[in-house]
Amino acid sequence: MYNTEFMLMSFEKPIQILVAEDDEDDKLLILKAFERSLPKENVTCVEDGEALLKYLKRIAPYDDLKKYPRPDIILLDLNMPRKDGREALAEIKSNDDLKSIPVIIFSTSNNKDDIRITYKLGSSSFITKPSSFEELVKITEEIENYWSKTVLLPG
Amino acid sequence: MRNIFPKWGKFKMKDEHKTSLRQVKIYSIVTLVLIIIGSGVSYWTSGRIDYFTKEVMQTSDVLQRTSELYASILERETNIRGYVITSNDEFLTHYYQSNIDADLLLAQLQELTEDNGQQQNNIAELKALIDTRVRVFDATIKHMQQHGDLVDFIDPSKVNNALIGYSLIKATVLRINEVENALFREKNNSLINNINALPLIVGLISIFSITIGLVTFFSIYQYNRAQKGANMEISRYQQKLRDQIHLLDDSNKELEQFAYVASHDLQEPLRKITAFSDLLNEQYSSILEGEGEIYLSRITAAAVRMRLLITNLLEYSRAGRIVDEQVKPVKLSKVITDMLEDFEISIQDKSAKITVETLPEVKGSETEYRQVFQNLISNSLKFSKPDFHPEIIINSETASPELVGRFSMLNPTLSYHLIKVSDNGIGFEKQYADRIFSIFQRLHGKKEYEGTGIGLAISRKIIEKNGGVIFAESSAGNGAIFNILLPFISI
Repeated sequence: MYNTEFMLMSFEKPIQILVAEDDEDDKLLILKAFERSLPKENVTCVEDGEALLKYLKRIAPYDDLKKYPRPDIILLDLNMPRKDGREALAEIKSNDDLKSIPVIIFSTSNNKDDIRITYKLGSSSFITKPSSFEELVKITEEIENYWSKTVLLPG
Repeated sequence: MRNIFPKWGKFKMKDEHKTSLRQVKIYSIVTLVLIIIGSGVSYWTSGRIDYFTKEVMQTSDVLQRTSELYASILERETNIRGYVITSNDEFLTHYYQSNIDADLLLAQLQELTEDNGQQQNNIAELKALIDTRVRVFDATIKHMQQHGDLVDFIDPSKVNNALIGYSLIKATVLRINEVENALFREKNNSLINNINALPLIVGLISIFSITIGLVTFFSIYQYNRAQKGANMEISRYQQKLRDQIHLLDDSNKELEQFAYVASHDLQEPLRKITAFSDLLNEQYSSILEGEGEIYLSRITAAAVRMRLLITNLLEYSRAGRIVDEQVKPVKLSKVITDMLEDFEISIQDKSAKITVETLPEVKGSETEYRQVFQNLISNSLKFSKPDFHPEIIINSETASPELVGRFSMLNPTLSYHLIKVSDNGIGFEKQYADRIFSIFQRLHGKKEYEGTGIGLAISRKIIEKNGGVIFAESSAGNGAIFNILLPFISI
């Protein structure tokens, strides 16, 4: 593990990911999975859509840019309390400052309507949560790999 | 559509309607006949009245003429007497006039009584008597004119003759009068009877017509009321049926929704069980001692199986959902050969021989029929006898009406295809023929044969949603036959 981290350090700058997930278990699993490919501080979490927008707009308690850096990509759950993923997505994509941030839908849903609607709203990918941890690790690695190495981000 | 009101109404109602309709028809015909008869009788009666009026007028005419004739005879007697006594010629003028009058009246009477023989005889008699009398008078006058008196003329022995002559005339006139009076009375009575009968006849017929009219009206009213009642009952039942269909639809949707949501939501914690088991296994398997590792693997295996069950349940809840765009004529032969091509490897693995004969075209969704036959064939391959090469034959024939009649779900007025999937596998005990189609029902242990027991349940749901039935026949060790009945495509 140490080695991985060291190797990553040698790259320019690791990708910054913001996860919006209300479920504590899922949050834990996602973080654990990302730990395999990213330093801990490069993955931050919020628990719902409302917190996500506060974070992005740097409204308290998310006004500390050091503690809460601007993400390169967002991993968004669809079913969340207060403001759900669809609303949050719509809001991000209608905000001039935020709409350039790629949003990856990461949900238990595989509903065709959800997929169609979120792509229409401007999401970049739609991923259904896998059932095993191994698959989850594979997915997080792919995300990290794709968004930090394969593609170029606005930064 | 099948008859949804098998028991109530139809027959009973039809009978009631028939009776009252027939009644109304009969009443109407009777009324019409009565009116025609009434009109006929009235017309006839008025004809009779007309006839008797003429007859009565004729007899009164005869009576009047007779009395006029008698008056003229009397006048003649008076005139001749006057002339004899006074020799005044003026009496003679009157006398001749009376003669002319009498002749004229006699001719008229003869004409009026043309149809009455008795009166003709009487009048002829009267005429003869008058003529005899007139001859005597004429002789008397002649004598008077020649001699100025009747001194030599009157024969005292013959005076009686003159009296008798006059009496005879009077008697004849009276007889004529009597006959004519009798006739008058008779005709007059008939006339009065007819006149009286007319209002009676018209009145009776009117009463009959009005009565029957009222009865008819009442029958029609009753018929209408009965029909209204029946219609109301029908619409009430239809409403009830619609409500029930609606309820059924709702509860079906709810059930599907329930199955979907339940299986969907069940996957959530399951996913975590699997994920955390994985994590535990990965990071702490070295720390787990003894049976700890086995328990962990048991947890993982159970979670995997549960996931399979949930996925199957989800699949089952979605199966057979009729999506109109997907319903079209499906060539079963093509669907099955395409499907078999995809499974060529597992078929070759088992050295199975699968024969697909000519199969019909049926209505439904291609993917769903593919699923049905895939389930049946994999079932047959799975339950093949260990030392035999599996042989599967799929063929089709037209189902006999007896077979169709055995299933209350089928419409006996339609034609059905009977599609058979027969194998030479291990078969099953007869008593399980129904159970194998229930969801998650298995006849064998999980270790012997894998699977959750969903395939046949899904197949049945699909076939039933397409208006068919599926049933199995077998006896242990003798292979199994899966029979599918599906309706002919209606043109």
